[in-house]
Amino acid sequence: MLDLTQGQFVKHVVMHPFEGFEDLRWKKSGSMAIATVIVFFLFFQQLAYNRMYGFQYYTDYDKVFNIIPYIFRSFGIFILYVVCNWAMCTLFDGEGSLRNIYIVTAYSLIPYICGYLIGTLLSHFLIKDEYIFIQTFEIIGLAWTVVLFISAMKAVHQFTFFKTILLILLTLVAMVLCVFLLVLLLTLFQQVIIFIFTLYTEISYRFRV
Amino acid sequence: MSGIKRLIAAAGALVLTLSVAKSAYATESYDPYGYDRWGDAVASQVGYSAEEFVDGKMINGLYERIEAKEGFDYDDEDWKVQLQFKEPADIFVSHDDKLYIVDKGNNRIVITDFEWNLLDILDKFDYNGEEYTLNAPQGVFVDPYTDYIYICDTENSRVLKCDKDCKVDRVFTKPTSEIYSQDLTFKPEKVVVDKAGNVYVVVGSVTKGSVMYDINGEFLGFFGANRVEATAEIVMNAFWNTIATQEQRDRSLRSTAVGFDNFDIDDMGFIYTVSESSDVKSDTVKKVNPEGTNILSTLGAEEMIFGDHSPAYYSIYTKESSIVDIDIGPNGELNLLDYAHGRVFQYDKFANLMFVMGGSGNQLGTFLNATAIETNGDLIYVVDSRKNGITVFKRTEFGEIVTEATNLYNSGYYDESYAPWMEVIKRDGNYRRAYIGIGNALLNQEKYKEAMHYFKVAISRKRYNRAFEGYRDLLLQKWLTPTVVCIIIIAAIVFILKTLDKFGVIKLPFKRKRGA
Repeated sequence: MLDLTQGQFVKHVVMHPFEGFEDLRWKKSGSMAIATVIVFFLFFQQLAYNRMYGFQYYTDYDKVFNIIPYIFRSFGIFILYVVCNWAMCTLFDGEGSLRNIYIVTAYSLIPYICGYLIGTLLSHFLIKDEYIFIQTFEIIGLAWTVVLFISAMKAVHQFTFFKTILLILLTLVAMVLCVFLLVLLLTLFQQVIIFIFTLYTEISYRFRV
Repeated sequence: MSGIKRLIAAAGALVLTLSVAKSAYATESYDPYGYDRWGDAVASQVGYSAEEFVDGKMINGLYERIEAKEGFDYDDEDWKVQLQFKEPADIFVSHDDKLYIVDKGNNRIVITDFEWNLLDILDKFDYNGEEYTLNAPQGVFVDPYTDYIYICDTENSRVLKCDKDCKVDRVFTKPTSEIYSQDLTFKPEKVVVDKAGNVYVVVGSVTKGSVMYDINGEFLGFFGANRVEATAEIVMNAFWNTIATQEQRDRSLRSTAVGFDNFDIDDMGFIYTVSESSDVKSDTVKKVNPEGTNILSTLGAEEMIFGDHSPAYYSIYTKESSIVDIDIGPNGELNLLDYAHGRVFQYDKFANLMFVMGGSGNQLGTFLNATAIETNGDLIYVVDSRKNGITVFKRTEFGEIVTEATNLYNSGYYDESYAPWMEVIKRDGNYRRAYIGIGNALLNQEKYKEAMHYFKVAISRKRYNRAFEGYRDLLLQKWLTPTVVCIIIIAAIVFILKTLDKFGVIKLPFKRKRGA
């Protein structure tokens, strides 16, 4: 039963929202490589959504382009979520390892990425009055991902439904805290660097005079 | 003695003008600009160039008129100041081609023709045998239907209605009605009269709109008040007022709108108002119908920013546009005067920016304290109360082409506007309206692909969408039938091959795997 390759397992998981992740866990399957590719696709999707959408729907301010926000919106948030979720699950006796959380989170993003990529593609063929078709794809993709996501978290930690929801909410709180600490750290380092630089200039003046 | 002096000075000035004129004409003292789709300022061409600066000395006949007066003394400051303008406050072009200049500091109205020849000076008025003089007048209006002159005699708290011979017909004073709060002063600043003879007066202390009188001088009420902008504080107050008791409500401060500061009336009888306050962003420019509602909002211009989009920041303060005067041009153009930056903004009748001219400074074409604006055909007059004179702007060749194209476009002649818009692009590639105009002309001719290109350059999504719809329809008409036929043929072939395979006549090289 269920002797699937890694590639086939991706399809199985996406198509079976309620048992797929249980099967994945039971078979100890799932590939880090595929998961990483999916996150790259997420990055590309974010980029395409902002930069390659049909002209009649949306145009971004095109005089400057900065890739950092896109990197943060895809890789940044993904890794932040995985780490925070792992940190929180240890408090709740969840069973997921960092690797497993990484894999299932990435797998559950597939419908979202597909829905929005299809929407972006369609936006080049449809006029504004037909936006409902694009919206349908985007909403279905998003809803599917939400279902997959909850099911993934539930399976990977072996939680009840309500405990899963609680864990997700707490993870979001932890993410905010993490960002706050990162910003704090960054400013602190900035201060230290400025201090060292001032010290250096002072000393160099002494030697010059 | 003085005559010779003046002659020498005039000759010197003439030589100077002739030698400088050629090089000075080529460039302006300000940088013309426009706004792109994102609200960023982009360089543009000169739509209006500053022609000349007219002060009291250039009014032909003013010197002789003052000189001829009894007791004239050239060395006396009181007389000398009368040879010039002193803090001019307003200018008006009447229907019979006369210029009325309100010389506020000298308490008089100077009337000239378009060549700056003095026609008359109004400073003494006769009201049933009583002599009236002006005290710091600020506004003038000539009724094109009755020829009566209306003068805001500001510091005397009255508006005079007089004829050409200075015979006062009626005096409008502070209304005694209960609606007009008697604590308020009555300092009339600007006046207009509509077709029906109703008189509208802007009074500095009144925030409810302009004070309105009927043809018989009866106070009717207020007209065209601004709305209160929904800032966070006001929304908060409104929330508390709904749950407060009547006594609490009476104690709280009433939120009042900012009164408007200046207005103009167009040939159709619509009144345009402007508000100077730079803290309030709503209702800075309004086109008011007789009911008192702003009909610019139906054009979507309600969210529009008039004047400069982004304020200028200096080390200690922020300078935002504050519009002090408006004048409606011959084609319904809105000419706004920005006091803060000394600029004139010209919009077409649908509130699309056409040209920006002027700036702060002492050169020709820039202002120190701009107070009033008036148009006359292709000329724009701007009164500066610190430079004590009038700057005349004349429309350039580029301005003529843009105006022609805009008029054709706004009247719906898209095809006819194609050529002038093309000429505009040739001279100024940043002129966004031209791309939209060309795009619409092409759209009218069903040249969808080219139209899409121009709309894309102009970043106009709504219009691009329309062009794209047409383009896609064309493609579908051309390719839909062949595509469907091809699909049907391929499907039929596959079906036949599969059927043959099923009965063992032929063997297909590949088969779809079923199940996992």
